[in-house]
Amino acid sequence: MRHCRAGGQRKTGKEGVIPMLLPDYYEFCCRVKIVAGHDALGKIPDLLIERGAKKPLIVTDKGVAGAGLIDIVSRAIGDRVAAGLIADDVPPDSDLRVVNRLARLYRDNACDSLLAVGGGSVMDTAKGVNIVVSENADDLMAFSGAGALNRHLKPLIAVPTTAGTGSEVTQVAVVKDHEKHLKMAFTSYFLLPDIAVLDSRMTLTMPPFITAMTGMDAMSHAVEAYYCLQKNPLSDAHARAAVGMIYRQLPLAAKNPEDRDSRLAMAVAACLAGIAFSNSMVGLVHNLGHATGSVCGVPHGLCMAILLPYGLEYNMHKRADIMAELLLPMAGEEVYLATPAERRAEKVVSLIRGLNEELHAVTGGRHARCLQEIRDREGKPSVPRDILPEIARAALLDGASIYNPEDTDYEDNLLVLEAAWEGKPLDRTRVKKG
Amino acid sequence: MDLSAGFVFTCPFKTNSGNKALSHLPVELAGFNAARPLVVASAGTEGQKAVRILKSAFGDSGMTLALFDNVTQAADLGLVDHLKNLCLEKKVDAVIALGGGKAADVAKVLNLAVSLKTPDARQLLPETPIRVRLLPLVVAPAAGADGLETSRFAHLGRKVFSSESLAPVLAVLDPCLAKGKSSIGMAAAGLAALGRAVESHIQADQNPFRKAYSFAAIRFVRENLPAAVADPGNRKASLALLNAAAMSGCAFSNAAAGRLHKLGQVFYDLLGIPQGVIMAMCLPHILGDYLKEGQYDLAALFQPLAGDDAFARTPAGKRAEAACDLLNRFLKELQDALGKDLPKSLAEAGVPGYRKEEILDVLGADEEGRYLCGIVERVANGRPERKG
Repeated sequence: MRHCRAGGQRKTGKEGVIPMLLPDYYEFCCRVKIVAGHDALGKIPDLLIERGAKKPLIVTDKGVAGAGLIDIVSRAIGDRVAAGLIADDVPPDSDLRVVNRLARLYRDNACDSLLAVGGGSVMDTAKGVNIVVSENADDLMAFSGAGALNRHLKPLIAVPTTAGTGSEVTQVAVVKDHEKHLKMAFTSYFLLPDIAVLDSRMTLTMPPFITAMTGMDAMSHAVEAYYCLQKNPLSDAHARAAVGMIYRQLPLAAKNPEDRDSRLAMAVAACLAGIAFSNSMVGLVHNLGHATGSVCGVPHGLCMAILLPYGLEYNMHKRADIMAELLLPMAGEEVYLATPAERRAEKVVSLIRGLNEELHAVTGGRHARCLQEIRDREGKPSVPRDILPEIARAALLDGASIYNPEDTDYEDNLLVLEAAWEGKPLDRTRVKKG
Repeated sequence: MDLSAGFVFTCPFKTNSGNKALSHLPVELAGFNAARPLVVASAGTEGQKAVRILKSAFGDSGMTLALFDNVTQAADLGLVDHLKNLCLEKKVDAVIALGGGKAADVAKVLNLAVSLKTPDARQLLPETPIRVRLLPLVVAPAAGADGLETSRFAHLGRKVFSSESLAPVLAVLDPCLAKGKSSIGMAAAGLAALGRAVESHIQADQNPFRKAYSFAAIRFVRENLPAAVADPGNRKASLALLNAAAMSGCAFSNAAAGRLHKLGQVFYDLLGIPQGVIMAMCLPHILGDYLKEGQYDLAALFQPLAGDDAFARTPAGKRAEAACDLLNRFLKELQDALGKDLPKSLAEAGVPGYRKEEILDVLGADEEGRYLCGIVERVANGRPERKG
């Protein structure tokens, strides 16, 4: 894949309209068929049969199965296809041994397709299994890196159970070899699931705290996709739609977990955001979020929620007009018109902070607003202040900063982390302008 | 947007747009394990120019390029059968439709015939079930592409093939192919993309995925068509129009066929009049009727047409009318710029009465035949559209 960076501030054109971006070069791909609805699961048998499959291996984890979601899936599928083989032991961190074991299970039972029901680790595992069984291989590791796959794999249907990661529409699988302490990334358009089934029943039981942080994960995908360097007209269109839906629907879903319509809207919005970011990449927010997650073991979505306003503030001197375009889909016409054009980007930041405040209230304080508020299960601070330099250093090794509009170094990372730890707006005068 | 009824959306093709997109094609084909593509291109100088550019792009890729560059408007299933034999002989493993239009139709049906190993392609029927994965199909549309290249449809003779499997896996939008020769050619292509994107954008059963494509297509046409008409060689504007066409094909594939499309298609099939010319003629009448009857979500058109500021300033209840006014002004400006080249009526387009009757006969068989025939009568002599 080759890419071109989309330029900086755009000139306002005829009649005050900012022309739609057309980069010198861009690529956009999401070949995943989207099937969404309150009874989308019921379409799975036909979708499998259309692809000549009738015996899927269901890949999931204990949490999903324990929440009764596999029962819902099984009931919706009925007996038109043989979907009785369920592997529910995918660990929270994908594991090479599990991938290879499930591939054996698939072969021993003459399965012909995969149905992944779960979050990121389940999707990664199912994609890994699909490589092994489709390539008739013994070991997944022979296919790591880009370009190793050049033909279609077995049919894979992805049923996400959180509205956040977007992994149902991404072309990447990350699988860890825990014995060798290696984290392997597999990238190919052939890893895109054939179908993403977005059904409101899959998230109805998700508690407000998880709803909030996974929803903000999706928000960070959409917002970073919109202002980072590899944006393009189609990623923009997906991101704008996602931002508006998440801003309106996430508080509703967190307050009323059984609200089917807001659950469906969030599943759709997270999918839109997943498509946007996987085609335009992300920046500083994910860069620092990955590092915070790996150093302190805190949930990814929570890091995204806290860091997102800071990513916007850090890059605002380069992307204010682009960020300002998000105000209309978020807040609607009244707020948009009442906000002077030069203040709209700042207003977007304040609305995202406001959303975090609202989610903090809805979750009884579990949705942390700053890094110092994050607590582990024993109630101890997960991100002590003196660990920030280590996070800032770890972030230098993460590739997400490549697509960030403004350059970052150790001091920049620390500047942002300290502000995010305290929960104070970033002092933008201290940002080094490149 | 109410999503409670559920929806299905798919966009099977990847978009590669911009500088040297064609040069990247061998890498893309290798990604599909393909090394012996057949190029299907239109006859005439346009097709030959496109072939030269493509050949140079393949340069030292080591791939074997088979070529058929003589697709005409008269192409039929007989040609597909001939090409199918060529494909089998050359062991072709991918198909590239170069230049769009009829070349894309032929390439899609050819791909079907080769992949299904049909003994006689002339016997292919639109309802022929497709249970195998087809060869990778790439479309590289040139100026004048109407957007159907990226769609799930192929029109050959009087047959319309429709399947997700027929859609390409890749759309290559290269500025080398985007520049046009004539203003009317650019206008017709842009207006066809606009017509189909508009119809997709206003239908009742919406979903945000389809809307992302129709929104971007409408915006690109609105922002770039006047510049492309003024200068068909305008690199940026012509590439934006290729983008708009490709996006409109995706939106259209995920929507029900609208009235503008049906009218444009029948005139193109029977008389060879570019679809965009007919759509521009009919659009004010059809949208005027929708506005009068309160049908469809015309207000949704205002934001992609007018931009965020005007959208926000205009009260919700006024947006439908404002969108129609804006579209009518947009068309009027194009008609003023193009004069007789963009006819305002069938009479101006030189459609004789007996051919109009032929058109009415075909349209009469459609479920909306009465309405469509009424539109034909209204545009026959250039009567002004009814006011909403």
